[in-house]
Amino acid sequence: MTALEEQVTLVELVDRVLHKGVVIAGDVTLSVAGVDLVYLGLRVLLASVATLEESR
Amino acid sequence: MIGTTPAVGWYVFGVVPSDAAPAPGTYLVERGPLAAIAAEVSLAEFGEEVLPERLNDRAWLEEKVRVHEAVLQSFVGVTPVVPLRFGAIYHDLGDVRRLLAERGEGFEAVLERVRGRVELGVKAWFDPTRVTRPAAGSGREYLQQRRDELSSARDAAAVAAAAHERLASTADAAVVNRPHPRELTGRDEQMLLNGAYLVPDGDETFAAEVARLAEEQLGAGITFELTGPWPPYNFAEDDA
Repeated sequence: MTALEEQVTLVELVDRVLHKGVVIAGDVTLSVAGVDLVYLGLRVLLASVATLEESR
Repeated sequence: MIGTTPAVGWYVFGVVPSDAAPAPGTYLVERGPLAAIAAEVSLAEFGEEVLPERLNDRAWLEEKVRVHEAVLQSFVGVTPVVPLRFGAIYHDLGDVRRLLAERGEGFEAVLERVRGRVELGVKAWFDPTRVTRPAAGSGREYLQQRRDELSSARDAAAVAAAAHERLASTADAAVVNRPHPRELTGRDEQMLLNGAYLVPDGDETFAAEVARLAEEQLGAGITFELTGPWPPYNFAEDDA
């Protein structure tokens, strides 16, 4: 797989694993559940796509 | 420090019927007809104080997301599973059992709904340069071509909506998600449709419909991508 294909797969995975599924506020992770987690996950991916673009 | 045990918690991946076999590296925490798929994790890694920072570490996030997916994927085609969202962590097994008790009715309803079914993903992509039309010669033809491109973009959005309707009528349940922006996909084409569909496991009808759509829309610059089978991430909520 190329770096870009891997990136696409990761986006697909993060889209499901971080943004879907039943939201359960675990008693350890109460404050990172929900919106914050989604935002952080996307921000990481956006940053990594930018890195990929630069390395082309 | 000598004599202290590192703090641990229980990461919960999802919920299955209690007669399921555990996925490698995980335990099944049973209560009544249900079992939580759980694994012990270090709170030095997953604790509330460190997790936000960890989520900004791409390598860490990718590894953990892949583990989450691999564990849930191992149940696909074997036993129904309710995926939980990433990062549900409990202090002890009593808390995990309490989760099964408190949300049991909802979990059982979802397990029934997804039993014998899988999630498939469909993405539609639009590339205006792939729209089949004669090449422009004169300036007037160029202007006409630009107008055509703009109208084909509008048409493309309508085609995507119609495609979803057709796919949804072939599936047992359907969800439209927001298309990813180009910054996220890293692709030149524009994502028009980001849909998820719950279909019977092993049924070829849905894939055939996607292939038919792709064939019909080839000249319109629209391509279709089918992914999966996935655990039913998009159909995990009780009210979905």
